[in-house]
This record gives sequence, C-alpha cells and structure tokens, in this order.
Amino acid sequence: MSLGQTKGLWRSDWLSYALYVPVLAIFLGALIFALAQSSTLERDMRIAATQNMLWVVSQTQMEIYALALSVSAPDRDEDAIARRYDLAISRLNLIQQGPQARYLETLGHLDGIERMTAALLDLDPQRRGHTARLHDALADLCADLHPQINRIANDVMIADWDKAAARLDTYRDTQRLVMVSVTFSLLAALAITWLLLSKQRQLFHAEVQTLRASRLLKQEQDTASTYRDFAAIVSHQLRTPLTLIDSAMHRLERLGDDVSASEVSRRRAVVSGAIGRLVRLSDTVLLLARIDNSQIGVRFEPLHMADIARTLVAEAQAQHHVRRIDLSCAEGPLVAWGDGDLVGHIIDNLLSNALKFSAPDKPVEMRVFAQGQQIACAVSDQGPGITEVDQPYVFDRYYRGQPYVEGVGLGLALAQSLARLQGGHINLETWPGKGSVFTLWLDAAPSGSRSQRSDN
Amino acid sequence: MKLPTISIPLVVLATVVFANPAIQASEDRILTLGGAIAGGKVALTRADVLEFPQHQIVTTTSVTDGPQTFEGFLIRDLLQDLDAEGDVVVARALNDYQIEIPISDFERFDVVGALSMEGVPLSSRDKGPIWIVYPRDDHPELQDIRYDTRWVWQLVSLHVQ
Repeated sequence: MSLGQTKGLWRSDWLSYALYVPVLAIFLGALIFALAQSSTLERDMRIAATQNMLWVVSQTQMEIYALALSVSAPDRDEDAIARRYDLAISRLNLIQQGPQARYLETLGHLDGIERMTAALLDLDPQRRGHTARLHDALADLCADLHPQINRIANDVMIADWDKAAARLDTYRDTQRLVMVSVTFSLLAALAITWLLLSKQRQLFHAEVQTLRASRLLKQEQDTASTYRDFAAIVSHQLRTPLTLIDSAMHRLERLGDDVSASEVSRRRAVVSGAIGRLVRLSDTVLLLARIDNSQIGVRFEPLHMADIARTLVAEAQAQHHVRRIDLSCAEGPLVAWGDGDLVGHIIDNLLSNALKFSAPDKPVEMRVFAQGQQIACAVSDQGPGITEVDQPYVFDRYYRGQPYVEGVGLGLALAQSLARLQGGHINLETWPGKGSVFTLWLDAAPSGSRSQRSDN
Repeated sequence: MKLPTISIPLVVLATVVFANPAIQASEDRILTLGGAIAGGKVALTRADVLEFPQHQIVTTTSVTDGPQTFEGFLIRDLLQDLDAEGDVVVARALNDYQIEIPISDFERFDVVGALSMEGVPLSSRDKGPIWIVYPRDDHPELQDIRYDTRWVWQLVSLHVQ
C-alpha cells in the first residue's frame, strides 16, 4: 500500500467518524431535552398547598357559619363562642399567610379577606367582654360575611379547575415533547449502531483482505523457497548419477580398443543403474508436480495386492540379487481399491527405501494382509530405525533425517501424498537401532466391483 | 415573603395584640391523651409539656413562606413517658379535624409538638396551642401531601391505639 493510499484511507476514516458527531449530538440533545422536560414535570407533580385552597376557604366559611350559630344559640355559651371565635380568626389568618395569600391576591380577594378579619377582630369578645350587644353584632357581621366568603369559595373553585386543566395541558404537552425527543434519541441511537456496525464490517473486511494478502504472500514465499530447495537438491541428485555415467564413459574411452567384454558389461551396469536413478528421480519430480497442480487423475479399480506385491518383490530381487527379500501374503482375498500405477510407485518406494537403509546382510520383508475393511502392505527392514526427533518429519518434503541420509527427501512425501489421493495412508512404526515398518493402508474394494473383476 | 404590604401590619397586629389573650393560662389543660397509655387518660397543661426537653426544628411548611424555627417537645418523648403501646396515634384538632399517624413516624423522625414559631408562642387564633411539625427539610420523603396532612395544628388530643 502506497503512502498516498494510506493517507486516503486515513481521511475517509475521519470523514466516517465525523458522521457520528451530528448523530451523537441529536441523540444526546434529544435525551437531555427529554430529561429536562421530565424533571420539570416531576417537580410540578408535587401537590402544592394552594391546591388545597378550596378546602381551606370552605373551612373558613364553615367556621364563620359555626360562629354565627354559636352567637345565635339561645344559651349563648361564652366558652363555646370564644372557641368558635378563635377558630374563625385562625382560619382567616391561615388564608392570609404565604402561598394562600398570594393565591387570593391573584383572584383579587386578599383585600376583602383583610377587611373581614379587621371587622371580626373589632368585635373580639375577649377584649370587649361578652355582651348581648356584641353577640348580636357578631351575628350580623357573620351574616354579612357569608355571601362574601361564598363568592371567594366560588372563584377559588373555578380558578382551581382552570389551573388543574392547564396543568393537565402542560403535562400532556410535556409528555408529547418527551415522546418526540425519545423517538429522536432512539432513531439517533439506531443510526449510531448502524454506523458502528458498518464500520466494523469494513474493518472486518479490511482485516480479511490483509490476512488473505499476507497468506498469499506467505504462500508465494513458501513456493519460492520450495523451488529453491527443490532446485538445489535435485541438481545435486542429478550430479551423482551423471558423474557416474561420465566417469564410466571416460574409463571406456581411456581403455580404447583394449576394452574387454567384461569391462564393458561392468560399465554398462553402472550406467544403466545411474540412468535408472535419473528416471526414478524425474518420475518422482513429475508426479509431485502433478500432485501440486492437482493434475493427477486417480483411476480406481480393484487391486489384487498379493499379485502386485509378488511382481514388485520379483523386480526388486532382480535388481538386488544379493539381498534377501521375503514376501508373505495372508489367506483369502486381498483386493484393495485404488490406482495400480500409483500403488506400484508407493510400494516400490517403500521397498527401495528398506533396501537402501538396511545393511546388505539384513533381510527385508513384505507382508500383505487384511484388517477390517482395509488392506495393508507392510514393508519391514532391520535398519537403524528412525530417531524420535526425526519421526514427526519423515513424510515431509526434503526432509532427509539426521545424520544426513542420501536422497532428495521426496520419496516418502510423494508416497504419502499418493496414498492419501487414494483415500489411504502410510503409517510408520520404528524401533531405533532395530528397524522400521512402513505400512500402506488402502480401503478394501467394494464387493460388487470385486465380483465384476472375477467375472472378467 | 410576597405578602401585600397592607397585610403585614394586620398579621403582626393579630399575633401581638390579639393573639396573646388567646394563649391559655398555664393551668389550663391544653392536650389530652387517651387510649393505650399508662393511666388510660391524661390531661396536660402548658407547664406539663414544657417540662419535656425542648427541641428545635428549622423547616419550611406547606402553608407559610420560607424556613421557620419551631420549638417544642418531641412527641416520641411524650409517648414514651406515658408508656404508650400501640401502632397509631389518632390526632384531633380544635375543629375536630382528625387523622391517624403511625407511631413509627415519631421513631423515624424527630416530630415535634411545637409550642412556638419564630420564638412567638402559637396561639389558638393561629395554629396553636400545639402544632405537630415534621422535620420536612431534612427528609425529602416528608415533602409529600401524605405527610402534610399529619401536620395537625390546633392539636387538642392524642389517642393511642
């Protein structure tokens, strides 16, 4: 990625984040507004003293009425009159205090109440003494006050209802505002969520792209290093047989006409062995290349493993006539399902390895047997075995073990790949210092195909 | 305080000139107690209730402006002194207003039977002789109409049950 591209991305990042600011502002703004409105509503929801105003005024009205009754009673009980008088005064005092006074002032009744109180206090029996004249005057005053206080109660009732209705209007408006702001808030929250999600998706995509790119790069590097290794090892392995052929030719040339028939035959054997190695090497390389490019078509067919083993052991025996190669085949049908050419290549590889890695005086053994639904072909040698360190890498390409073992390190890797192509595998059992057993496992051929084969 | 100017001298007049004669002489019984208390029924004079430790509350009220200083006895002390046993107290006022107050109120809050406001004895021509006052400003939960109705003024009797 160039610097310019990075800068571009950086800028688009900022742009996409800048989108959040107005949305966040809408979200928070609407939420704060709703909160403020709700808190106003909450404060307003308390019942104020003046909402009790009608009751307070009607109590005053009642006390004045009770005073009128007590002064008009035939017995004119002075204690009762005094008590009633105090109560009436206390109620008039109450509606002239604090919030009550302000309420009455808005209705224009405070002056009236003050005049009433002054008139009543003017007839205080405790100060002026209980006389019939005072009681009569109190009765007259109460009769006079009654319609006035009645009007006040009337106005208070109407004002109360107006206020209650106005309050409900305010509540409704506030409620509506809160609902609208919460809706805005919700929409903004959804927008933010959407923005965040799409941002995350972009990031995820970018990450996947980076990952993919880095994996591709790694693959490229692996391939490059594979080919470097490959070229180095193969060219080295090509050198040995070519040198052998070259030196054999030189020898024959130097001998000129003096060359004996036995000499020619000896040199010819060397050359043909070297050519054999070259052919096997090129076969292996070609097969691996075909596997890498998925160009290998497996032609599945029922394979009579005992026959194949017998043929291969005979060929190996012909090449290595001093070696002892034992073959044992189990009883019964040993028909595997696979590709004859590929299986031949695998077993040939296992057999030549066994011969190569064990002393000439040690026998190599091949056993063919069935186990469950699988057919096995085990090749055992009495070589040095494989150390614990090397065991996990035996089937890896170019792995040649420690100490250095001659070879390309492709044979077992190829054999394992070929086995897997056919749905089978090769496993290893080894005893360092005693020998190894490589076993090719293949599925047994389906019974239908087997009978078909036997019909032919 | 937004009282109209004309009302101020009148209120002052009411409390100073006319209220004083309405404050009962100390031998008068100002509060009667009944119900589940020691002795079944007790009548107390102003001097009696003044013998309890006096307690001050500064609080706003629902019917006046600004904070007021009240002084009086703790209802809790009074009930304890009378070995009151019950869940509620029925408080009754001079005008027969009555309300049930849970005794737990007096345990949870320093509820006062106030005898004076701003140093002036409460008159029966205002909210005296006794006004039940809650420490409204110290406890937000008390700022509620359901507690306002327990602020009985012109208190004359308490009945424990």
